[in-house]
Amino acid sequence: MAQPQGLLYSKEHEWAKVEGDVATVGITDYAQQSLGDIVFVELPKVGAKVDQGGNVGVVESVKAVSDLFTPLSGEVVEVNTALEDDPSLVNREPFGGGWMFKIKVSGDLSSQRSKLLDASSYEALIRESEH
Amino acid sequence: MVNESAERQTALYDEHLALGARMVPFGGFEMPVQYEGILKEHDAVRKRAGLFDLSHMAQYFFTGAGVGEWLDALTVNKVVTMKPRQARYNVFTNERGGAHDDVIIYRLDDERWLVVVNAGNAAKMLAYLQERLPSGITFTSKHGTNANIAIQGPLSQQLLAPFVDVELADLKYYTCMECRVDGVASIVARTGYTGEDGFEIFVEGEAAPRIWRKLLDAGRDDGVVACGLGARDVLRLEAGMALYGHELSEEITPLQAGLAWVVKFDKPSFVGKEALQGQAQADQFSRIVGVKAVQGPPLREGYVVKHDGLPLGEVRSGAPSPTVGANIGTALIAKQAAAPGTSVTVEIRAREYPAEIVALPFYKRAAS
Repeated sequence: MAQPQGLLYSKEHEWAKVEGDVATVGITDYAQQSLGDIVFVELPKVGAKVDQGGNVGVVESVKAVSDLFTPLSGEVVEVNTALEDDPSLVNREPFGGGWMFKIKVSGDLSSQRSKLLDASSYEALIRESEH
Repeated sequence: MVNESAERQTALYDEHLALGARMVPFGGFEMPVQYEGILKEHDAVRKRAGLFDLSHMAQYFFTGAGVGEWLDALTVNKVVTMKPRQARYNVFTNERGGAHDDVIIYRLDDERWLVVVNAGNAAKMLAYLQERLPSGITFTSKHGTNANIAIQGPLSQQLLAPFVDVELADLKYYTCMECRVDGVASIVARTGYTGEDGFEIFVEGEAAPRIWRKLLDAGRDDGVVACGLGARDVLRLEAGMALYGHELSEEITPLQAGLAWVVKFDKPSFVGKEALQGQAQADQFSRIVGVKAVQGPPLREGYVVKHDGLPLGEVRSGAPSPTVGANIGTALIAKQAAAPGTSVTVEIRAREYPAEIVALPFYKRAAS
């Protein structure tokens, strides 16, 4: 499947949409399909300082607990509280209503970007992992 | 389709792949954990019907005049009093009263019996039974050659009836019949592991794919779907049914597992009887209880359960329950914290979450 353009992707299957100095973060469609029905999401607290690649929360499916990582460094400025009542939003709208948290990005953005993938590189990653 | 893993395949392996199942190794076989999704499959079984491939479980056939007495000495429940066509849940025990396996025994007629054993315990049970097999009893394993298709859910009878050459409505709960399914010689039992009405079809592997496909086709318009092991685990947990290795084990006895009703102390002797009598008399044992989370993440095996701040138990199984509308589980907990209504906390990722001890089962289907 073609991944949305204009997003940055991590090898842990998160996406980041950077607008100005704020990035919205979620998990990809590939991630939600792999996880299956998502029943619980533990998000970082607003105000938390996070480092690129760090473990910031948890996504739970019926059968398993999966770590949630942040693709960029910064301070958490908003979390998607809708996921408390309806974690299945992540399954239904991984790139839309299922967004997870927003961070005010800090540090060297171009160096952080170099560790992430664009849409076609992420697509290639998925294709490889399916074999 | 080439299977590169070391696991065996059931007769329905290609059917699962064709349906897009996610396969996992389980009990020595590649098994479907889900197709469309665990919650969708769970919903189908509670409201309509679902089909399960249970061919990984071992089917052991015994023939002889002394089978009943022989199995009576190795298990907690009464076997010799079973009538032809009756099925009974039972537990094979060790000398400490712990469980080698929990099984369903089907008496086909006076001298022919079927014992269905958990896939994960098959190697152990095969050796155990073969070592003790008396002369005069013949034993045939159909593990991996026979198939077992389970249909579970309120629509089960109407779905299966057209394919069977007997009156399915006459097959009472926990009985079985030898009959023909889609013209093929089979054993049909009204047993299951979901808490719903349903049937298990024991049939030769070659016939299974055709029967499976016909049942799915016949039920498609009514919302009948294939269901995997993921849904099966949520369903049996809601129905308060033990899963070997979780609520029962070589260390966790049937008494601890809440299966006192299965243990018949008036049998003259059986393996582990003295140990279980001692355990029953002392009545100090930790026991399996239901746990319902008040809030927070799903309960998972291994989470510590605390009462008044003291760690007194651990979660043995857990799942989000669509039927109950909460995260549920079982825990093995000290007697003093085991009464239904007791408030406890569950430690999840270094935080304490409130929960309540509840009596099992969480769900019982409406009487019909």
